[in-house]
Amino acid sequence: MQNTVLVVGGGPAGLSACAGVIGAGRNVVLVEKEDRLGGAPILSGYAKLVPSGEWAKDAMGRMIKRVEDSGLAKIHKGTRVVSLDGGVGDFTATLSNGERVSAGSVVLATGFTHFDSINKPEWGFGTFEDVLTTTQMEQMVAGGKIACPSDGRVPERVCILLCVGSRDRQIGREWCSKICCTVSTNLAMEIKEISPQTDVFIYYMDIRTFGLYEDKFYWKSQEEFKTKFVKARIAEVTRAPDGKRLLVKGEDTLVKRPIVIPFDIVVHAIGMDPNAENTEIARVFGIGLEKHGFIDRAEHYTNTCGSTRRGIYVAGAALGPETIDDSISQGQAAASRALADLHALVQKTA
Amino acid sequence: MAIHEKSLIDPDRIMTHESLVVDGVDVSGHWNTMVAPRFLSDYDDDFVNVIRGYPGGENVHRCWQCGSCTNSCTMYAQNTDFNPRYWIYLTNLGLKSEILKDKDIIWTCVSCNKCTNICPKDVRPEGVMKALAHWLEDEGHTDKTRSSIFDEEFTGQVLDHGRIEDAHVVINFLRKTKQPYFQDWLIEAVKRLMRHMPVGMLTMLGWNFLFTPKTRSWGRTGEVLREYVREQKEAAHARMKEAAHV
Repeated sequence: MQNTVLVVGGGPAGLSACAGVIGAGRNVVLVEKEDRLGGAPILSGYAKLVPSGEWAKDAMGRMIKRVEDSGLAKIHKGTRVVSLDGGVGDFTATLSNGERVSAGSVVLATGFTHFDSINKPEWGFGTFEDVLTTTQMEQMVAGGKIACPSDGRVPERVCILLCVGSRDRQIGREWCSKICCTVSTNLAMEIKEISPQTDVFIYYMDIRTFGLYEDKFYWKSQEEFKTKFVKARIAEVTRAPDGKRLLVKGEDTLVKRPIVIPFDIVVHAIGMDPNAENTEIARVFGIGLEKHGFIDRAEHYTNTCGSTRRGIYVAGAALGPETIDDSISQGQAAASRALADLHALVQKTA
Repeated sequence: MAIHEKSLIDPDRIMTHESLVVDGVDVSGHWNTMVAPRFLSDYDDDFVNVIRGYPGGENVHRCWQCGSCTNSCTMYAQNTDFNPRYWIYLTNLGLKSEILKDKDIIWTCVSCNKCTNICPKDVRPEGVMKALAHWLEDEGHTDKTRSSIFDEEFTGQVLDHGRIEDAHVVINFLRKTKQPYFQDWLIEAVKRLMRHMPVGMLTMLGWNFLFTPKTRSWGRTGEVLREYVREQKEAAHARMKEAAHV
């Protein structure tokens, strides 16, 4: 009888899936390719999470501790799955550390890769020190001091460019990354909190702070923290004649005039790409990818969290841009599917 | 060189000089015509706080540009240049020069308040129109409105004499607003006064008109009041501006 679920990926979705399996008293084997658990929030050094406002290290820390302290989890860090044989109820995974794992079912929580802003060179990332990504700005906020990386001066003005690596056919990314609007409005508040003299502008095509994020983040950022919203898709970022500031060029959609506005820091609200290793993941696990390169999901209504292969379930941003909270919920859902497989086998053998 | 298709350029961006010397070279004449750049080169970050400091403008920063105000606007139906949504956007970014282009129509808001009723973010656009009109007046971009002129005349008399003299209010108002003294309604009113007023009262009216006496023991009251009103206005303005910054 199989009593083990294999979970791949130790981020919010994977940790949640582990907790789901552990909660039912079954064993879990967690395989994480990095040397630390916690996924993107920890590896990329996020500051406060949306929407809880809790520091990433605290929130993720609790999730990690819950799994580690259970006694039912075997955790392999710095390890990958190199092959998977067998089928539902009787999988055998071979790990990069040479170990073999037998599992009744598998949960993939392999997450996403942050868009690399180098692929939009016209927006200055990699050219100017004061052009940052949202993850870098998050790290700055976590450090408690807002300053221009170039010379350490406190910025008078920061702008955040939305949809960097999202909704852009030119670079083959036709999806909305779902969470950047909310993250950006939140980031604007965090910047203002640390540095009240800094004015924050957000350049947008649309603001998509869906559901309850509308007033808690968008409205609050605008009304209480005076974040200014400018409808413009930026064309390019260049160096100002003073050699210090940056010039943001574009067309203000509403004024119908070109704009060339000086800023001290330009932040790219980078989107969520499919995990850069998804083709390899698809090969190893024998599953399909959807047209954008995320993991293809099965019919959702009766095969929730299913992949294109029986016995392998998927949760979180591996399926497409996803919030941390929903990734966690999906982790539990995938765990319940994986557990049901084990349980069905028990019933069959009884 | 002459500029072709001048009609495509905003008139305020065409710069010509009667006489001009550039780097010691005399370039006087029609060929020194230049065209100012079309792009916007900066925002005035503090302007929104100035407008928020005026009564009615407090919520202008809440706008998310849905356009409900313009859509519901009585004046917009008359003149599509009357666009509250757009002016609110310009206010929030501090694009003053763009607002000034519409300085002669902003005050025509009829305060029907349909915009304020429909606004999903409680921006109160009608109040913003008032705030903008007052700012334009304060900065001297527009002439004083007739109602402001009337108010000033009325208040001025009260403060000077402790009372108003109706005839002086009317005459001074007409003079300051460059309207003829002989208005039909005014002639009619005077005629009826002459016909129906008791002689004693008419005499008193005439006396007051000529000598404009002060209220008894008025003394320095007017001065003190004037000072008090000025102080209160300044304090209120500072408070609003302070609140807007928070």
